[in-house]
Amino acid sequence: MNEITLKMREIARDLLERGEVQRVLGWEKGTFPYQSTPFFAETPADADKLIWDEYCLNNLAVYLLDFRYGEEKVALFVKGCDSRGVVRLIQDKQFPRERVYLIGIPCPGLKDAAAAAKLPAGAEVPLADKCRTCTHKNPVLYDVLVGPEEPPAKIEGDLFAGVKELEAMEPEERFEFWQSQYERCIRCYACRNVCPACNCRECIFDQTAKEWLSKEVNGANNQFFGMIRAFHVAGRCIDCGECERVCPMDIPIMKLNRKVIKDINELFGDYEAGTDLEKLPPLGLYSADDPEEFM
Amino acid sequence: MQTFKKEAIEQVLASWAKDAAVYVPVSRAGVKEFGPWSPKVEPDFTGNTRLSPKGLMFPQTETMYSYTVTEGGMGVVLEEIDHKPARRVIVGIRPCDVRSVQVMDEVFLTKGYEDKLYKEKRDNTLLVALGCLSPLPACFCESMGLNPMAAPGADAVMYDLGDSYGIIVQGEAGEALVAALGELVKDGGQVPAGEPCTLKVDAEGLTAKLQKMFEHPLWNKVNRKCLACGTCTYLCPTCHCFDIQGKNKGDEGYKFRCWDSCMYPEYTLMAGGHQPRPSKKERLRQRFLHKLQYMPERYHAWGCVGCGRCLAYCPAQVDITRFMQDVKEVAIDG
Repeated sequence: MNEITLKMREIARDLLERGEVQRVLGWEKGTFPYQSTPFFAETPADADKLIWDEYCLNNLAVYLLDFRYGEEKVALFVKGCDSRGVVRLIQDKQFPRERVYLIGIPCPGLKDAAAAAKLPAGAEVPLADKCRTCTHKNPVLYDVLVGPEEPPAKIEGDLFAGVKELEAMEPEERFEFWQSQYERCIRCYACRNVCPACNCRECIFDQTAKEWLSKEVNGANNQFFGMIRAFHVAGRCIDCGECERVCPMDIPIMKLNRKVIKDINELFGDYEAGTDLEKLPPLGLYSADDPEEFM
Repeated sequence: MQTFKKEAIEQVLASWAKDAAVYVPVSRAGVKEFGPWSPKVEPDFTGNTRLSPKGLMFPQTETMYSYTVTEGGMGVVLEEIDHKPARRVIVGIRPCDVRSVQVMDEVFLTKGYEDKLYKEKRDNTLLVALGCLSPLPACFCESMGLNPMAAPGADAVMYDLGDSYGIIVQGEAGEALVAALGELVKDGGQVPAGEPCTLKVDAEGLTAKLQKMFEHPLWNKVNRKCLACGTCTYLCPTCHCFDIQGKNKGDEGYKFRCWDSCMYPEYTLMAGGHQPRPSKKERLRQRFLHKLQYMPERYHAWGCVGCGRCLAYCPAQVDITRFMQDVKEVAIDG
C-alpha cells in the first residue's frame, strides 16, 4: 500500500464523515492489475476502496458534469491534467468552484494500460502516450495536496512535432491522411463523452432530428464530426489526451487538437488552456489587439 | 480431422477464394477487423479482432432502397438495391463470435419475421472458426456456457497444431470447403488441449434474480463511472439495434439503416420530447438487462457471449463480469 493511497483514504473518510462533501471521486482497482477505474466513494467505509497507482489514467473532471445541476458538494482527486479539466469546467460556468473540493495529487506520469494488456505479467510497461507530452505534473488548482510536488515537467522533443509533420504535407496528402483515419471512426462518441471541454448541455451530434450530421457513418460524415468537435474545443482543449486514449479505433485525435492549439498560440500568443482560472481562452474574450489578418 | 501445413494457408485461402469472397482478420492501422483476403493480404490469426464480424452481416450503415418522386409529388418510383453478396467464407472467426452470429440469427430470422437485408448476407456466408488455445485476459466465454475450443455454429473449425492447422468439418457446406482443398489436406491430427479462460464469473440463476431487480439500488452504483458513449454497443458482437433514416435531395433520396446505441440519449427520445430513459442509469440498465435478462427470456440464450470486447475497450472500465458478480452478492427481497 503506497503512502499516497493511505493519505487519500484518510482525507476521503474525513470529508465524508464530517459531511463536508456528499461524495469523493477517485479511483479503485479494476478487474486487471493494469486497470484502475473511476470510483465514487459515498460513505466513509467506501473510502477504503480508493487507490493511487500508475494506472489511474481516467480524467475525473468530466464526472463533475453529472452533478452540475445539483446542490451537492463533490470532492475530486486531481492529477495535473484533471485539475486543468476542473478549471475548464469552472471557466465554462459548468461547475461552481465552491461546490468542488480538490485534492491534488502530483503525478509522475502513468503507464499505458492498453500496452500492459498485451504484455506478459512483470514486463516493463511504457509510459502512457498522454503522459509523454504532459506539461503539468502538479495540479494547477487544489484545496489540499497529497504528497510532495513533482519537479516541473520536461517534454522530450517538440510538443508539436506531429503537427509539423502534417503541416509539411501537400494538401492532398494531408487530406488522405485524415480521410484514412476517420474512415475507421465508428461514431461511438467516446472522445466527446470523456472530454471535459465537451460540456454542452446538448451536443449538436445528439440533435439527430435537426440532422446537423447524418447518422450515416461514412468517411465524409465522420470527418465532419471530427473537425467540428476540434473547432468546438478550440482554445479550450486542456491537452489531457483522454479522447485519443479512449478511441477504440486508435484515431490520433490529439494531432488535430494540437494543430488548433498551435494555430492559437501563433495567432494570439502562447496559451495553455485550463491552467489559470483568471486567464480566459483567447476565443472566449475580446481584446483590442486580437489579430485580424482576415479582415 | 484433417490437417494442412501452415505455410499452405495462402493456397488454402486461394482455393476458397475461387468461388467466394474470403474474409480474414487483418490489421488496419493497428486495429484488427475482418477484411477481404487477397494474396497480398496477410491474415493475422493472433488474438481476436477488435471489431466483431457482425458488420459483415449487419453493416454499420446500409442503404435499403432509393426512390424518385414523380408526378409533381403525387407518385414515387422505388428502386430496390441488390444487397446479396457473392458467397463468402469468414476464416478465423472465434467461437465467441460464431456464437454471436447464432444470437443474431435468432434476432433477425426467427419469431415470425425474417430480416431480408440480414438474411441475404447470412445465407451466403460460411464460417470457418479458429479454436482458442489461449484465451485473452478479458475473455470469459466459458462463463457464458461456451467452450473456447468448440464452435458448434460454424461450418468448419480450425485448430492451431504448431506447424500445421487441423480442420474439422461440421455439416455439408464445411465438407465442400475441405473437399475443395484436394491434396492440400491429409487425414490425421487431433484437437489440442486449450487453456481455460482466466476471467470467470458465475452466471447461474442471474436472469431469475435480475427479473426482481429492475428498481434495485445497485443500478445507482453501477452506472456512476459509465460515460454513456457507444463503444460497448458498437464493439459488441451481439448488439443489433438500428435506426432507419432517410436522405432526400430534390426529387430523389434513399433510406438507410445504421447501428444505433441504447447508450445514446436520442435512442429513446420521443417525438414529443419525452425521454423515458433520462439518464445513463436507465441506459446502462437497459444494456445489461438486454444481455442478461431479456435475451434469455425471449431466446433462452445469453445475449452476451463473453468475448470481452466491452470490458477491454470501455473508456471507464465498466465491466459486465463485475456487474454480474455484484448481482450475485446483493440481497433482494423475496
